[in-house]
Amino acid sequence: MKEHTIWEPVIGLEIHAQLNTRSKLFSPAPNRFGDEPNTNISYVCTGQPGTLPILNKEAVKKGVQFGLAIGSDIALLSAFARKSYFYPDTPRNFQITQFENPLIRGGSITIDIDGISKRFPIKEAHIEDDAGMLRHFTHFAGVDYNRAGAPLIEIVSEPCFHSAKEASLYAMEVRAILLYLDACDGNMEEGSLRIDGNVSVRLKGENILRPRAEIKNLNSFSFLEMAIESEITSQIALYEKEPNRPHLELIPPGTYRWDPDAKQAILMRAKESSDDYRYFPEPDLPPIFLTTSYIDELRSTLPELPRDRFKRYVSDLALNNQSAYVLTQEKKLSDYFEEANTICKSPKNLCNWMIVEFVGRLKDTGKKFVDLGISPKHLAAFIQMIDQGKITGPIAKQVADEMVASPWKDPERIVKENPNYQPLDDAETIEKFVDEVLAANQQSILDFQAGKERAFGFLVGQVMKLTQGKASPSIVNSLLRQKLQKS
Amino acid sequence: MTIPFYRFSALEIREMFEKGEASAVSIANHFLARIAKHDPSIKAFLKVLETEVILKAEALDRKKKMGLPCGKLAAVPVAIKDNMHIKGQLTTCASKFLTNYKAPFNATAIHLLEEEGALLIGKTNLDEFAMGSSTENSAFFSTNNPWNLDVVPGGSSGGSSAAVAARLCPIATGSDTGGSIRQPASFCGVVGFKPTYGRVSRYGLVAFGSSLDQIGPITTTIADAALTMEVIGRHCPYDATCLDLPPETYLLRKELQDVVIGIPTQFLEGLTPEIEANFLAAVDLFRTLGAKTMEIDLSILKHSLPVYYILATAEASTNLARFDGIRYGVRSSGAKTLEEVYDFSRKEGFGPEVKQRIMLGTYVLSAGYQDAYYRKAQKVRTLMINAFDKAFEACDAVLIPTAPSGAFRKGAIHDPVEMYLQDLFTISANLAGLPAVSIPSGFTKENLPLGIQVLGPQLCDVAVLQIANAYEQASRFGKIPPLFDDGA
Repeated sequence: MKEHTIWEPVIGLEIHAQLNTRSKLFSPAPNRFGDEPNTNISYVCTGQPGTLPILNKEAVKKGVQFGLAIGSDIALLSAFARKSYFYPDTPRNFQITQFENPLIRGGSITIDIDGISKRFPIKEAHIEDDAGMLRHFTHFAGVDYNRAGAPLIEIVSEPCFHSAKEASLYAMEVRAILLYLDACDGNMEEGSLRIDGNVSVRLKGENILRPRAEIKNLNSFSFLEMAIESEITSQIALYEKEPNRPHLELIPPGTYRWDPDAKQAILMRAKESSDDYRYFPEPDLPPIFLTTSYIDELRSTLPELPRDRFKRYVSDLALNNQSAYVLTQEKKLSDYFEEANTICKSPKNLCNWMIVEFVGRLKDTGKKFVDLGISPKHLAAFIQMIDQGKITGPIAKQVADEMVASPWKDPERIVKENPNYQPLDDAETIEKFVDEVLAANQQSILDFQAGKERAFGFLVGQVMKLTQGKASPSIVNSLLRQKLQKS
Repeated sequence: MTIPFYRFSALEIREMFEKGEASAVSIANHFLARIAKHDPSIKAFLKVLETEVILKAEALDRKKKMGLPCGKLAAVPVAIKDNMHIKGQLTTCASKFLTNYKAPFNATAIHLLEEEGALLIGKTNLDEFAMGSSTENSAFFSTNNPWNLDVVPGGSSGGSSAAVAARLCPIATGSDTGGSIRQPASFCGVVGFKPTYGRVSRYGLVAFGSSLDQIGPITTTIADAALTMEVIGRHCPYDATCLDLPPETYLLRKELQDVVIGIPTQFLEGLTPEIEANFLAAVDLFRTLGAKTMEIDLSILKHSLPVYYILATAEASTNLARFDGIRYGVRSSGAKTLEEVYDFSRKEGFGPEVKQRIMLGTYVLSAGYQDAYYRKAQKVRTLMINAFDKAFEACDAVLIPTAPSGAFRKGAIHDPVEMYLQDLFTISANLAGLPAVSIPSGFTKENLPLGIQVLGPQLCDVAVLQIANAYEQASRFGKIPPLFDDGA
């Protein structure tokens, strides 16, 4: 993260998350990604005349759960509004959204940054329907309405972030919460979670907000950071180059998109004096009335949230902050961990294998560990073999390689079937190897006797090497110590 | 002997069919023949569904032979305003824009009518997108009033009203956003009923003003309006504003002894002498029938027109935004860019009144104007609802004329504001969501029909029709226009 001495970036985020309901927000068409164009549609999704929206209650429920998870006020009365603009992917040429009466107001997201807890306030969150997608072909463009009408929750933060890092950590936490609530699949590549960043900078101590650039549709956290970082740098450069020019001339408000190849934000559209969406109450939908008992019921059945789980991992399972954070950010990963840990009860070792060893083995494949197909039961058995000394560290690494290659295979079988993986715990046999090593490394013995502990480690390593990693480390250790003290 | 079915009500026609005195095919053929003979002079229909009607009639006759129940509207020809979807048929809304739009599904009201054995005989003319009070705004042709072919039938459900008045069918559907069922019903001397907002599903009705639109029946008798309501007044899961109530049973006999009728005298100041005399005669008849009358204060309704033309156009401007030439409708052949597809298609597809209302609605919703227009109008609408609530604490129903005049000559009104004044007495029922029925109440000096309106509290659809029924039975102004009473 760069330090911008006299300048203070001010960033706000709007996160559009697709709610993973079975049907769309206002129609019974399936809410599903990746199908043939214009197959998941109904008369409502294409804005046929005579059709009317019917609200999907499941979407409201998921929205309320999110609000409760971040400590918002849930509106007992909220309402939809029409937002008018012409674009072919918008079937009615108005979006049905919430404007004056959103479902959720207030609330906050808390994140630890460099060991310090920071609270980032949410302005509001509302429910709305998604647009379709334009596809451009050589001589024409087509519209795919499969996504049209998919339920979105738009989560609007206050302009409260002062660095790209803060903004991206916040966005990651929002995503994690949505995953824990089973409200969104969080798949950013497929567009299930899209982020708009509003970026401005000002002199430290200034209490006005200077003009902002709106960077649309950031679909990864690294793009989000890069885009914000580069926008901050370029705005500062503009202010410093022409300190006397009016701010609005230097940074004309507009909509930008992030070009990942050029690594810069490209202006899509300068804002006209002000976009007029002519919001007014949607007459086809009665207001949403919620009861306190409905809200209380949802509150009392909220699942454990990522931050609570994180704290539990640190305090109860003694994981370090970094490990606990990595595990808890992905609900699937964390659920996997929980399941395996109930069997092997070895959180630190388990965590290390999950987020370091196996992830390292998958680095170049693009695969995720949880999607690999190794069952939590098998991984737990693997960890138990290690913990119980049935396999040594070096063998464990080989077994892990085989598990990655054949994820469905029981690791106990892998070990059983390979004679090389059988541990060598016969002291007499090991003693021969120890003697061999000592005979060949006189200098190391002298070093050890001169107080160099590192020499001991070297000798252990030599014995292990000689036994192809199979020798029980504790036997090797004690034999070596005995012999070194004698000599 | 052939029966002149046209002289009978829908109820009577259904009974003849049920008793085996008439086949569905003979009934269908009778009305198809009348349409073929008379519609060229009236021009009520945009499309006559000859083949479909005969097929349906034959099916009904077979069903009848097998002793199966045939439904509450068995063998009753019903015409459909051409802004409601009949699956597989064009829904043009009398607009050039939709000359190629085949409805992909049935409107709920259509589905219910078909289920109860109605014969859907054709689609009727209207002001384009139901915007107008004379049916002169149809993009195809205007419709003539069966009482005098040189005058308008009213609008926007002018085709439906003229068809029923000339007895080309006993029942037609209309849609009423600001009087579009009741005003043409009064101009044509028939019954037009706008139910409580939400009573009839709007699914499959091409929207004009969503918070005001209601589908309702146009018939020759109150009993037939009640019969139609028993069929279409049902909860529908595809319309979130549709009332979730069991369907009503409309037993029509009601003594008026305990009924108190409110007269908003202040609101009615300035009526023409002819309308005033007709209205006062109706009040007298209600008194004779035993009803008590009282003066009520609805003077706030004087603001109905601006409130209505702000709210209805605001909603319409967004409802009609979907007509852009992208997904359906007529796309301008000259368009080369996206902007041109929008601009040219809408410019070529919409008529002047529709454009005017879209512009008006866009304006009143615009930033900087919304507070002065849209929001202010919503506030006044709330005050009107409150005024009606207060009035209905003291009376059971409100009586007012349906229109400020009888039917006018075609082309007589050019000034749009003067045309909008036609809606003065009808729009308050839409703004407050009330049930309101127009019943024939006599004739002008030129022998053109006049109508009066009974308005009731929300949900009191049955009571409104009961009160109107008592008046109808005692007055019997619903006559067949002589031009079309040819005995065949």
